[in-house]
Amino acid sequence: MKFKDYYASLGLARGASDDAIKKAYRRLARKYHPDVSKEAGAEEKFKEVAEAYQTLKDPEKRAAYDQLGSHPAGQEFNPPPDWQQQYSDAPFSADELDLSDLFAHLRGGGATRGARRSMPGQDYEIAAAISIEDAFHGTQIDLDLNMPEYDERGQLRRVPRAFKARIPKGATDGQRLRLPGKGGKGMNGGRDGDLYLNISLRPHPLYRAAGHDLYLDLPLAPWEAVLGTAIEVPTPAGAVRLKVPAGTQAGRQLRLPQRGLPKPKEGHGDLYAVVQIVVPSVTTDSQREAYQKLSDLSGFDPRPHFAAEAGHAR
Amino acid sequence: MRVELTEVLWFEQHVLSLSELADISGLPRAVLEELLDCGAIAPLEAVPAALPVALPVTELRFGASALRAARTAHRLRVDFELDIQALAVALSLVARVEELEAQLRELRARQPQRVR
Repeated sequence: MKFKDYYASLGLARGASDDAIKKAYRRLARKYHPDVSKEAGAEEKFKEVAEAYQTLKDPEKRAAYDQLGSHPAGQEFNPPPDWQQQYSDAPFSADELDLSDLFAHLRGGGATRGARRSMPGQDYEIAAAISIEDAFHGTQIDLDLNMPEYDERGQLRRVPRAFKARIPKGATDGQRLRLPGKGGKGMNGGRDGDLYLNISLRPHPLYRAAGHDLYLDLPLAPWEAVLGTAIEVPTPAGAVRLKVPAGTQAGRQLRLPQRGLPKPKEGHGDLYAVVQIVVPSVTTDSQREAYQKLSDLSGFDPRPHFAAEAGHAR
Repeated sequence: MRVELTEVLWFEQHVLSLSELADISGLPRAVLEELLDCGAIAPLEAVPAALPVALPVTELRFGASALRAARTAHRLRVDFELDIQALAVALSLVARVEELEAQLRELRARQPQRVR
């Protein structure tokens, strides 16, 4: 197993006081806790800090940790056999364990061998990014986890577990799923932990999701916006024909009911086509002439409110 | 290695009793009851508002938002060693941030992106 320097994780030297350990933990937890921090990599950093604190705050675990000696972080090492006898509740195979497993299952508080407390299995939280198409049709994701478990000989080891989770249609950004009993195994009759999936939607080249509604940019040529038109608009369920009324302004949202993402129980969100008016670059003299003619013909004032405001100011 | 296909539950599918909520979230029941008392965690609205006598806590039912809040409360309580008051304040702030993030997501979605 790989050695971890718990003191270094908290930014401390060996022999730091209990008070210093607590203070260092509090400072780092406030900085990196995933519920509080939006910093990149905060969750990983918090896990490291929390693992170090779990061991160092408990005098017996800290003594056991100190007995392991000092090794460079990341170096392979094995706890000496007498260490195992003195501290560990169950036999373990060091190759297959993480250092944190050792301390999580350490015999503490002078408990006698065999009198094991029931302990619920650990919950796991996993971020799952899926595409808008996956959210629309439903999908399967592969999960590969490595969890500490007691095997049939009572030996503690890390067991790789792989399974597929079916994500039904109806997912959207920020939604959560629970996989009951798929977390860590409970010990000595404790309930199995759960696995949680936090869903996020990957950015899509066409659609933007807000809840179960989708937004799509709809660029129009000036004459399309003025005269009105009908356009084939892509939706996740396939293209639909959208009637653009004459005199459509930029920024207007044309609603396509029930064309958004499906909701978990029933129904769909809506799809909104957000109108943009896009101006072509004029390349030929005849085009320029046509625009000039339109300009001469039109008495259109796009900014009447400017004049009105100037009137007030006077 | 056996690869099994697992069914999943939306948070929205949960209708939980107080003890189930305590079990799943990991919060001790007494803490949960205190958070309930101060309104930091709320039951589903299936209870008629004009009920003359308050329902006993054993008959309350909890849904997705309570499950989210209880799990967050459990994490915050363990990781920051918070007492009930601090926990209730932190929970309302986390809920407010989530609400604002959802609003921000919606505003960003409405914003045209493709300007040529």
